Amino acid sequence: MKKFLAVVKHEYRKVVLKWSFLIGTLLLPLLAACFAVVPALIFSIKGEPTRIVIVDPTGKIEPRLKANLSAEKMEARARKAAEKSLKDLSPSQEEQLKRGTEQFATGFEFIPYERASGNISGSDFEALRRDLADKVALGEIDAYLFVPVEIAAPDAVFEFRSRKSGDFVVNETFEVALNDAVRSERLADANISEERLEELGRPVSFDSKGIDERGEERDGGGTFIASFIIGLMIYITLAIYGQAIMGAVVEEKETRIAEILFSSATPFTLMMGKLVGVGLAGLTQLGIWVASAAAIISVVALQTDLTAITGAIPTITPLMILYFLIFFLLGFFIYASIFALVGSMVTTVQEGGQFAFPPIMLMLVGFYFSFAVVRDPDSSLSFWVSIAPFFAPITMPVRILSQTPPFWQIALAFVLNAIAIAGLVWLASRVYRIGMLMYGKRATLPEVWKWIRQV
Amino acid sequence: MTNSDVTLRVNNVTKRFGDFTAVEDLSFKVRSGRVFGFLGPNGAGKTTTIRMIVGITAPDQGTIELFGKKMSSSLQDRIGYLPEERGLYKKMRIADQLRYFAALKGMSARDAEKRMDFWLDRMGLSDWKKKKTTDLSKGMQQKVQFISTVLHDPDLLILDEPFSGLDPINVEFLMEVISEFKTQDKTIIFSTHLMETAEKLCSDILVINKSRKVIGGSLREVKESYGRNLIALRVTGGDHILADDTVVAKSTVHADETIVHLTNGTDPQALLRRLVEAGANVSKFEKVEASLNDIFIDKIRGNAVSEVQQ
Repeated sequence: MKKFLAVVKHEYRKVVLKWSFLIGTLLLPLLAACFAVVPALIFSIKGEPTRIVIVDPTGKIEPRLKANLSAEKMEARARKAAEKSLKDLSPSQEEQLKRGTEQFATGFEFIPYERASGNISGSDFEALRRDLADKVALGEIDAYLFVPVEIAAPDAVFEFRSRKSGDFVVNETFEVALNDAVRSERLADANISEERLEELGRPVSFDSKGIDERGEERDGGGTFIASFIIGLMIYITLAIYGQAIMGAVVEEKETRIAEILFSSATPFTLMMGKLVGVGLAGLTQLGIWVASAAAIISVVALQTDLTAITGAIPTITPLMILYFLIFFLLGFFIYASIFALVGSMVTTVQEGGQFAFPPIMLMLVGFYFSFAVVRDPDSSLSFWVSIAPFFAPITMPVRILSQTPPFWQIALAFVLNAIAIAGLVWLASRVYRIGMLMYGKRATLPEVWKWIRQV
Repeated sequence: MTNSDVTLRVNNVTKRFGDFTAVEDLSFKVRSGRVFGFLGPNGAGKTTTIRMIVGITAPDQGTIELFGKKMSSSLQDRIGYLPEERGLYKKMRIADQLRYFAALKGMSARDAEKRMDFWLDRMGLSDWKKKKTTDLSKGMQQKVQFISTVLHDPDLLILDEPFSGLDPINVEFLMEVISEFKTQDKTIIFSTHLMETAEKLCSDILVINKSRKVIGGSLREVKESYGRNLIALRVTGGDHILADDTVVAKSTVHADETIVHLTNGTDPQALLRRLVEAGANVSKFEKVEASLNDIFIDKIRGNAVSEVQQ
């Protein structure tokens, strides 16, 4: 037992202290954090409010504009934009930009200007314009707006001049608010109730949800993507750690360290220690990923409305996470023992690469099956592939996420895969104890068969 | 001889790989506190035998007893084994590797640390403790491998070709360390095909060839049983006497002398007298002891000859 722990510690450290592990473990959450949090942070750095003078000869637009740009209105719009960005996960670039501006626009400060009211004739306009342009140049104000006299005229132009013409957030926000104000005014002129128009033009609410086997509704929107991510994550980690095992086995064979190891501990201890040590390293990585995913989601959730999130992302319970980790471990032991077996058959890492093809293929098939599972988690195909050894470690977590099957099916998948592991570990350890001492040439399958039967 | 005098007993051990018999009905014992030379040409079955002794593989037939007990994995901790083809983890620090190997031999971390520092210092490798294997020269790597063999203070040391690739200074140094182990009453099994080294170090030897024992015993016994009637000769004339196979069993011509094996019962003095009487000019006539190398070559060749005759 003491030796077993020594092997576990050694193998764990060997994986965890590698640069690639450190980078892989920390970089992924960091990248995710960048995509999720950094834009929000940058946009949320609010500048000074924009000081603006409005010259409104009609006297009708200014109050509406002020109302539209009030703090409460802006906040309401920001919330709406945040919700939208969580529901639609692949917006266009333009759409993203718009949402950003809506979420993070800074306020406006309206500077009263005594010469702005009343009737202004054409020559006065020129004088006003010059005066205001001077004020902008001197930095007394940031921008000014000329509202045309005839706002209903088709050629009416709203003249907006600003020191910060590059600040698209300000420009965009202002333009939207102005458009709304003018539109409301035009509607009022035409005697159309704005509320009534909005009511009539409202899109239908299309409520698309799945129904699980208990008759409960669940959201279908984010499920596909979340299941896909889980499936991919398990597939990738299995492939990486499986091949890490193979690399470690081949190294010990290639450098003849196996001879020293076998004279110190039993091959079974050594192989199991290797599997457990590398498996723990994989679990560490997955654990960090899961924890950081939870952290990122909660940071985003703090910034926005929580209900918007729970609506879009399928609920992942702690029990589900436990299931994922269990099935990852099952998958790890299945594929790692196959990779260990292959590693002890071959003589170099390159040769091992060629022979890694069958287990990789098997994983890939499992990954592809997970698409079928997401589309129809209740079909008999989904049932069989989610309990079958080799596939279950990838397909079952996907199925649990898209529509949790009855517990007995999860238990059955666990038992079947545990039996497969027992068989594979037995097989691998028999090949390992002999293959590791066979130098020179790659073993043929009949030879391997002989090793397995040898006492 | 009691059990405590014998570290290792190999009793009628046979090992086969499929149709190939690697070791056949091999028996020998290794006495405690002695250096035991385990000799044989390549492919004789040395490595297979050693692997059975250290518990890497089990014999098909026969038994192996170590320290008076049947060989088992719990006895592995008392053996230090330096395989012929040995390796280190390429990208791992020297200290980490040594700690790992020590832990696999059941050592506590504290003992391992102390002994590691002692040995690294002794081998002049203290500065290299935190370096990776790939930073070390081949000779340094071999020293590290030797440290990993002796780190856990084993009672039985098995060294398979420990000198290959070492420079003369390090060979000398390693020999010193080995003799030191001898004085500490530890048993050393030493496998090599360098007969000169074996002759210097070993008190007992065993020669195997083609999976079987050829000759064994203390170095003295082996030499005496073999080399009693051996003459180094430099002579001109008297060829017909040397060709007489009732007197000369065999003669080997070297650069400036001929080694003559007399038949059993032939008196060297009688040969000298006959040569002188025949008018031969004898410039050297010396009774010599066979070198281990001679014995080895002779025994292995003899083996081959008898096989051809069969």
